[in-house]
Amino acid sequence: MSTPAWIRPATLKEALTMRRDYNARPLAGATDIYVRHRAATGTLPPLEDRPVLYVGHLPELTSISEDGKGWLRIGAATVYTDILEHPDTPLLLRRAIEELAAPALRNAGTLGGNIGNASPAADAVCALYALHAEVDLAGHAGERRVPIAQLITGPGKTTVGADELITAVSVPMDRPGSFHYYRKAGTRRANALSKIAFCAGGTVLEGRLTGLGVAVGAVGPTIVHSRDLEVRAEGSDLARYRKLQQEESAPGGFLTARYMALISPISDQRSTDAYRRRVTENLLRDLFERTIPTLLSGKAG
Amino acid sequence: MSHPVEQHPVTKTVERVDAREKARGETRYLADIPFPGRLFARVVRARIVRGEVVARNTPSLPEGYILVTADDIPAGGKNCVRMIEDDWPVFSEGTVRYYGEPLALLVGPDRATLAHLTEQCERAVEFRQQEAALTIEDALLCRGGAIHGTDNVYCDYQVVKGDPDGAMAGAARTIEGEYRTGFQEHVYIEPQSLVGTREEGRVTIYISTQCPFYVRKAVATALGLPQEEVVIIQTPTGGGFGGKEHYPDVLATTVAVALTRIDGPIELILDRMEDLEVTSKRHPSRVRYKAGLDEAGRISAFDVDIAFDGGAYESSSRVVLQRGMFSSNSVYEFPHVRVRGRAVATNSAPSDAFRGFGAPQGLFAAEMFLSRLAREIGVDDLDLRKDYLLQQGSTTMTGGRIHEEVKLPEMLEHVLRVSDYRRKREAYAAAARDNGANGTDGAASAKPLGGIGLALFKHGSAFTGSGEQEIIKARVRIRKRADGRPELLVSNVEIGQGVLTTFCKIVAQVLEIPYTDVVYDDHNTSHVPDSGPTCASRSVAVVGYLLQEAAKKLKGRLHEPGEFEVEQVYKHPEHLRWDAGTLSGDAYPSYSWGVNCIEVAVDPLTWEVDVRGVWTAYELGRAIDEEIVRGQIIGGAIQALGYAGLEKMENPEGRFLQRTMADYCIPTSLDYPGVDYALFDNPYPWGPFGAKGGGEVVFDGIGPAYAAAVQQAIGREVTRLPVTPEYISELVHEK
Ligand SMILES: Cc1cc2nc3c(=O)[nH]c(=O)nc-3n(C[C@H](O)[C@H](O)[C@H](O)COP(=O)(O)OP(=O)(O)OC[C@H]3O[C@@H](n4cnc5c(N)ncnc54)[C@H](O)[C@@H]3O)c2cc1C
Repeated sequence: MSTPAWIRPATLKEALTMRRDYNARPLAGATDIYVRHRAATGTLPPLEDRPVLYVGHLPELTSISEDGKGWLRIGAATVYTDILEHPDTPLLLRRAIEELAAPALRNAGTLGGNIGNASPAADAVCALYALHAEVDLAGHAGERRVPIAQLITGPGKTTVGADELITAVSVPMDRPGSFHYYRKAGTRRANALSKIAFCAGGTVLEGRLTGLGVAVGAVGPTIVHSRDLEVRAEGSDLARYRKLQQEESAPGGFLTARYMALISPISDQRSTDAYRRRVTENLLRDLFERTIPTLLSGKAG
Repeated sequence: MSHPVEQHPVTKTVERVDAREKARGETRYLADIPFPGRLFARVVRARIVRGEVVARNTPSLPEGYILVTADDIPAGGKNCVRMIEDDWPVFSEGTVRYYGEPLALLVGPDRATLAHLTEQCERAVEFRQQEAALTIEDALLCRGGAIHGTDNVYCDYQVVKGDPDGAMAGAARTIEGEYRTGFQEHVYIEPQSLVGTREEGRVTIYISTQCPFYVRKAVATALGLPQEEVVIIQTPTGGGFGGKEHYPDVLATTVAVALTRIDGPIELILDRMEDLEVTSKRHPSRVRYKAGLDEAGRISAFDVDIAFDGGAYESSSRVVLQRGMFSSNSVYEFPHVRVRGRAVATNSAPSDAFRGFGAPQGLFAAEMFLSRLAREIGVDDLDLRKDYLLQQGSTTMTGGRIHEEVKLPEMLEHVLRVSDYRRKREAYAAAARDNGANGTDGAASAKPLGGIGLALFKHGSAFTGSGEQEIIKARVRIRKRADGRPELLVSNVEIGQGVLTTFCKIVAQVLEIPYTDVVYDDHNTSHVPDSGPTCASRSVAVVGYLLQEAAKKLKGRLHEPGEFEVEQVYKHPEHLRWDAGTLSGDAYPSYSWGVNCIEVAVDPLTWEVDVRGVWTAYELGRAIDEEIVRGQIIGGAIQALGYAGLEKMENPEGRFLQRTMADYCIPTSLDYPGVDYALFDNPYPWGPFGAKGGGEVVFDGIGPAYAAAVQQAIGREVTRLPVTPEYISELVHEK
């Protein structure tokens, strides 16, 4: 049997077999693949000489369900529009998707594709970092679950195995006290790529901060985040938070200074390193000097 | 929309002739039209910025593919794209002046094979590279040696009014300023496209263009044929904005040369990325001002030094520059003026026509300098402007007259009222004083910074100076067909601006028949007289008038038997004077006038600009169709807002960095709010039913109004377009 060019498997199991046997390339909405492989008008895109494995129709990859423990499991090939329409989608992810691309693209694009493409400017992935999302992978040998930050290793690089598919992404649902902070500075208002994407979330209950997540996109080779810094802030009340912030006398305090040390923006056709740096600093300061202290002091309204 | 005056019947909106087929997607653009036996073509381009071809090493081609080069230009023909000068070659003969310059054309039956062969051919060329000149400063320093002549200067003009040297020498005080604008890409709806073939033995080109007769002239020159031997047929063109004024000539000539070897049909359609990368852009500019003030603080001398980046070949740079120069005093009258203008050669793609044609650059600089003067002198921005406003009878900077009544004062009052400018301007100034937030780095407050700005401007309709009389010599005919319907024979074409409808309305109004009875569907140069190109805000103002006059000759004769034609030829109005040698006299037959006001809120965290309101007033003589004019006003404003705030195109190393529509961002409908507008009626005696031009004035004033608004919001002087968030953040962080 000759190698097929296109595969449309009937089940996830068949998909995994094809993936292994043909080293087939997964394809969901194709909104990244088509751009990456664009060719002269009127000619076919020069895809690699391995077959394309369509996964966008598999029921196992397109459902959204609650796991009963406060997490929402979103199939990797669920299109953005369906995620937006689901009542339990966390607000931070919803905000990121609302500003991602345009309606027609959101009817096709998927989280699996956003992860698989692994762009440092990927907007949904940025929100997933701040939410501490976990990614389910399936291979012929079995399944595994990985935190999003461990899956992506560089621009266009992931640790998804050659015989694996991304099957789902799990995110904690919003609960009492959940807050989110989202800003995208794009090349324009709509259908724009991020010059900077900035996501933060967590919970403030009874004056205590837990589960802080901060992620900044398009200012480094991968989304910038720090588990260490998040852990430093864990469980803070206002006094402890202030004390932590005073560990460094820089503008925006300890957290701003430490995050600023992690970013390494570049100048490219969309923006400049200076701009990316200044805006990241402004947003960090807005988050750490205004938003979080206001939440902790219970003055948020 | 407000109606300051009663409308003339011709202004009433009708259904556009082409509305239904366009809305339904039935219009056939060139790529939709079948040409049996069609071959495809791709341009083989130089993949360096500047240098010489050392060896071509052309690979052998498969059966059915040919490579067309400068060697194929027939005897009697000429390796040039005829525009104003003949410096732009159809194919490079060895010298490469900009990235992507055509070396050859590959023609063959299969597009994938062609794409592959093109890459092979391009890779096979060996070059000796040279240091490139990419900025106006580089050009003037002749970096890497002169590209053009000995000094890189395509043209160097001077306009003098009064005694600027004396006045400047006697000035009590002088104030200076320097302003810059960048490239802009047209992003017309469909990329450059054409099909060349032979029909009845004649070279025949189907093409998306604004100017069929320009294409004919260029093709005939390259092939050494009499113009009548070449036939150009315009196909539906989805917007041109100047990008389809001359650039189609560049592609049509390559295909025409191929037709000397092979009959065709040959299709050449640029890919969008190729189109973004190699076609002409708006001229970047640098404008320097110096004003001399007398003891009383009045502006006595005004000195302007303008440089436009013309790119690698001259194309229309000299006329674009002239319009830029003639816009540099905006709508103000100063007693002693000198304006020097130079268009310079760089190793960027040749700059060419773009809606506004040099005026947006000149007007931006003028308006920004006026606001600097007001600040330096310590008077109100508006009061300063009002003191120098042109009026009927004023002497223009070229020594011509303002012949028409100038309605700017009432237009200005209108815009001030509907925008609530005075109150907002004061409130924003007070807010800035209160929180001391001007210049904040976003740490102090996340509250948006508000600002509001105004611009006053004018745009001359038609060709500059005596161009209509000396160069264009427009001629129109109306045929009374055997079936009794009048048919318009003109070379002006629909490019989305509505001329298919407005011309029919003008003629129908004279003949007192329904506009749908008028026929206007022949866009073939062998059937219609040359009424000139579709550009320069001239179609309605100049050609529409000729049609009105021709229609008068037809009045009462529609029932006569048989078929006959009436003709009208352009005649320059007798009260106009122009000396092309000294650039003095009436630079334009008439002016359209405008006032724009823009309100913004600048986000102090990201420096993104939110446009809160756009208020406009225009005097275009008289609108022929209100909805069509509204389309121009909104489209012009949005396109100009893109120019003012979003659209950045850079080539620091010679190749444009923004090569996709994801990186070169034009506005979406979510970027800007609606556009409020008012039309002031002021019928112009030499325009059809009083109409003047409206296609460009609607672009001109947005840039300075936007910059003025941002300037107030951030409390920093803005001297460059586009005002991107990156630029704003630089301004704010500059101490
Ligand atoms: C005009 C336009 C605007 C855009 N705007 C934005 C924007 O604002 N923000 C943004 O973040 N992105 C944007 N994108 C990029 C793109 O839409 C998103 O990254 C989208 O999420 C990709 O999803 P997809 O399903 O189309 O991916 P595909 O193109 O189908 O796949 C992308 C990659 O992921 C792999 N892949 C897909 N599914 C799986 C799976 N289940 N398992 C393993 N690997 C998989 C593919 O093999 C491929 O490598 C834009 C794209 C376009 C064309």
